[in-house]
Amino acid sequence: MIELQNIKKVFNAGTVNENIAIQGIDLKIEKGDFITVIGSNGAGKSTMLSIVAGFQTPDGGRVLFGDKDITKVPEYKRAEYIGVVFQDPLSGTAKSLSIEENMAIAAKRGTKRWFRRGVNSKNRKYFAERLKELGLGLEERLKANAGLLSGGQRQSLTLLMAAMANPEMLLLDEHTAALDPKTAELVMNLTDKLIKDMGLTAMMVTHNMKQALDFGNRIIMMHEGQIILDIKGEEKQGLTIPDLLGMFEKVRGVGITDDKLLLSK
Amino acid sequence: MGAIEHGLVFSLMALGVFLTLRALDFPDISVDGSLPLGAAVSALLITKGYDQFLSVAAAALAGFGAGAITALLNTKLKILNLLAGILTMIGLYSINLRVMGMPNIPLLGYDTVFTPLESMGIPPQVASIGLFATFTVLVCVFLVWFFHTDIGLALRATGDNLKMVKAQGVNTDRMIFFGVALSNAFVAMSGALVAQSLGFADVNMGIGTVVAGLASVIVGEAVLSSSTVLKAVVGVVVGSMIYRLAVAYALSVELGPIKLSPGDLNLITAIIVVIALTFPGVRKKLGGLRS
Ligand SMILES: Nc1ncnc2c1ncn2[C@@H]1O[C@H](COP(=O)(O)OP(=O)(O)OP(=O)(O)O)[C@@H](O)[C@H]1O
Ligand SMILES: [Mg+2]
Repeated sequence: MIELQNIKKVFNAGTVNENIAIQGIDLKIEKGDFITVIGSNGAGKSTMLSIVAGFQTPDGGRVLFGDKDITKVPEYKRAEYIGVVFQDPLSGTAKSLSIEENMAIAAKRGTKRWFRRGVNSKNRKYFAERLKELGLGLEERLKANAGLLSGGQRQSLTLLMAAMANPEMLLLDEHTAALDPKTAELVMNLTDKLIKDMGLTAMMVTHNMKQALDFGNRIIMMHEGQIILDIKGEEKQGLTIPDLLGMFEKVRGVGITDDKLLLSK
Repeated sequence: MGAIEHGLVFSLMALGVFLTLRALDFPDISVDGSLPLGAAVSALLITKGYDQFLSVAAAALAGFGAGAITALLNTKLKILNLLAGILTMIGLYSINLRVMGMPNIPLLGYDTVFTPLESMGIPPQVASIGLFATFTVLVCVFLVWFFHTDIGLALRATGDNLKMVKAQGVNTDRMIFFGVALSNAFVAMSGALVAQSLGFADVNMGIGTVVAGLASVIVGEAVLSSSTVLKAVVGVVVGSMIYRLAVAYALSVELGPIKLSPGDLNLITAIIVVIALTFPGVRKKLGGLRS
């Protein structure tokens, strides 16, 4: 459904700080895929997601949506079919707007915004129903400013907003990493439920190997700007952490000396 | 003009500054040029025999155009917002001189928006306060409505969290265009009314507009919490009145041999803003503005 063709991304090209973040990535995301992405710090995971979402433009290669070339399409236009959740729980909602106002903005994704009232009694009811599914009691606080919510509540709201207006694809960049373990689990289960219920295609970056193995139908490992492992379907079922480390060793020809690079519990 | 009238008529300007600075997080200096632009357009039309109310609408339209230019400089040509405002402001100085044909147009003897009321036997001061209050209430009602529309919500979120609005499919360039243009329309409207009330338009009447607007916004926030849109908007009007009263008071004090004069106004405003910004409670709210 979304395809990356020979994508390259270089930061600060031509300077002493030149940094090749992505060096020739090909990736075909199939409809219904739930891909988990792992890899050490600086491997290029976030950069790859940003290129899919349109927050970054690649220096080489093409991004396709279906058979449409969207390499130059700005992020706000891609938002019509791509929902994004970042690591920072504060980055996905506007703090000075109420919960219902934030949701109204998300609900209008992909349509022109004019002078209609943003929140009305009809969509308010719909927002309350969606919030109820979170089980956090937020449906009672529709008029509270998003800035008053806890990190986990805000991230759950962000997730709900990203999945609103029927996107085709959901991009998640370590979206549970800043949360405490219990909240992280809650948000992760919610993510899985949303993806299943709505039949979304998803790509999720995580440093949590267990999370990467437990969820999704396909796992990608990145290293130094390249995809070095891409395991799907049956092969992914029953995969263990030692399996993954072994595979890494085989592909790279070296062992991972510092497995902290890959693992976090 | 009395401090109350001043506070009311300049609250339109302050609401414009509030729209860009607070809702959009776009410090727009072009208002220093669009206030006299509004005055110039209105004065020109009145002296050419056009209707005085029509001249206010024309002034607002001209201000909208000026703001649109600042917005486009910023979004299309990628010029830093502060610099984009300065460029428009400087350009407007020449344009205002061209519009007026001279540095000052007196309006004595011409019909102004106050004339119909005064001819009904209403005392001039009551007439001007009543009229300014009406304009202010209308603009407040409009703004509160606007901030709750789809476009208004997206505009407020643009100033709050740029990353989020882009991820939610908002064309932020479009929001900046609407916000800055609308803001300058209010400021120019304020300029038109100020000119009609003072009885003249002057190319230099815009100096310090943005700082005075900022002072009003900050004073308003210090007095009234800006937890809801309605409170924030009313806060700006209240802030504008308090600010003008404070200025009137400051101008009346004598510091030994030194008597303050209207020429000291800008320095006093600058000092008021600095004090307000250093005030801890205010500083917290203004986190983004200082950095
Ligand atoms: N805006 C930027 N400017 C310069 N260099 C950048 C920028 N963004 C990323 N990089 C560099 O590109 C490389 C890939 O970064 P990226 O953020 O994609 O890694 P990551 O796999 O997401 O890492 P992490 O697990 O730490 O989040 C890194 O070397 C990083 O320093
Ligand atoms: Mg990252």
